[in-house]
Amino acid sequence: MNSLTSSSPEGGEPIVRPGSYYGNGIPYLPIDGYPGKIIAIEGTDGVGRSTQIRLLREWLEVQGYGVIETGWTRSELMQPTIEIAKASNTLNKLTFVLLYATDFADRLEKEIIPALKAGFIVLSDRYIYTAMARAGVRGVDRTWMRNLYGFAIAPHLVFYLKIDEKSLIRRVLQARGMDFWESGMDMKLGDDIYESFRAYQRSLLREYTSMADEFGFRVLDAKRKIDVIQDELRRQIGAFLAESDVSSQTITP
Amino acid sequence: MVVTEWNSSALVKAATKTGKKKNSLTPMTFSLLHATDFADRLLYNIVPPLKAGMIVLADRYAYTAFARDAARGVDRRWVRELYSFAVKPDVAVYFRVPIEVSTDRLMARRVKLKFYEAGLDMGWSANAIESFRIFQGKVLDEYDRLVEEFDLSVVNAVGSITEQQRTFRKLISQHLEIETTDEQLDEQLA
Repeated sequence: MNSLTSSSPEGGEPIVRPGSYYGNGIPYLPIDGYPGKIIAIEGTDGVGRSTQIRLLREWLEVQGYGVIETGWTRSELMQPTIEIAKASNTLNKLTFVLLYATDFADRLEKEIIPALKAGFIVLSDRYIYTAMARAGVRGVDRTWMRNLYGFAIAPHLVFYLKIDEKSLIRRVLQARGMDFWESGMDMKLGDDIYESFRAYQRSLLREYTSMADEFGFRVLDAKRKIDVIQDELRRQIGAFLAESDVSSQTITP
Repeated sequence: MVVTEWNSSALVKAATKTGKKKNSLTPMTFSLLHATDFADRLLYNIVPPLKAGMIVLADRYAYTAFARDAARGVDRRWVRELYSFAVKPDVAVYFRVPIEVSTDRLMARRVKLKFYEAGLDMGWSANAIESFRIFQGKVLDEYDRLVEEFDLSVVNAVGSITEQQRTFRKLISQHLEIETTDEQLDEQLA
């Protein structure tokens, strides 16, 4: 009951209703009936999440929806600590996971839940699945991770921008180069940053793929052109919003 | 022997400080920050001495989180699961006082109650002492559950320090299988 792992017997949609807590949730914050929606965009580094989110936001706002964006490690409370911890290299896998969870909890209570209450659309640049993928690669117990994030809310839509290892490497190198954490150098897979990056990102991709069914990801091919992906996102989101009638509550007068 | 104290790791100090200064911690982030602190100390300060065969004396342990977080309305089962990475202590001792004694001692200290210590974040009362009484009452109720659930050894903390030490030392002696007679304890505590 407190587990996120259960999926329906048909193996299709996850059993947890979108917009409700995955596990026992936060007892002092009941969220039933909140009109807002959470749309999460997942994917590894360099798949173009931020660009897609920026374009989605413009499109949604033009239609009159209230939109907020939230992104990984962006909480006021935790951002400085996470930066320091990453720079000083004192993180171990457990504290890594817990700092991220604290950051998420802060944003959930201060940004996401109030926005849902007010009928906004929450565009989330990464969601808990990134934390689960990174922890999974580092050997953190899966059941424990799913219990930890039992306070998270199941998004209404999760898009996974899927890319292959080769294309990913090229994009990252072209954009900004490889950094310590993105290359999983903390896992001490080897001194060669290129090899470490490859091995790390490959394991991450495997983790995301293994979660696709469990959490009902809508998988999009991230190798296509930006506007092609954007069109697909808009088509699917548009259909979802039309169905759920959120517009009547958020259109500005 | 090494001593480790609750909420003392350097890693989360900045976040805890920011959160406390702005009174912006929620029961969930309060809980998670303390768990992060604990995880950090477990790795660096608790597990290595245990491996070296030393005794680790922990001033508060996961039970503090179980009691406080539940008193703040965090899901009980979730907090227990959260700390399932903790090493189960060989002995866990709970120094128990009734709420009146706890409040009296606090007032006698004559220092201003801190915001979170008094449970003022919960908005149960604007008066710090009244808020503390309500919060601490809930915390003590949680501890009573924990005594049974985790088989904590209880020391009556109403008595004098000498009396408490006598009980405490007897408990520890039993666990370490050290022969300690009442006369020896008298001598030690004289």
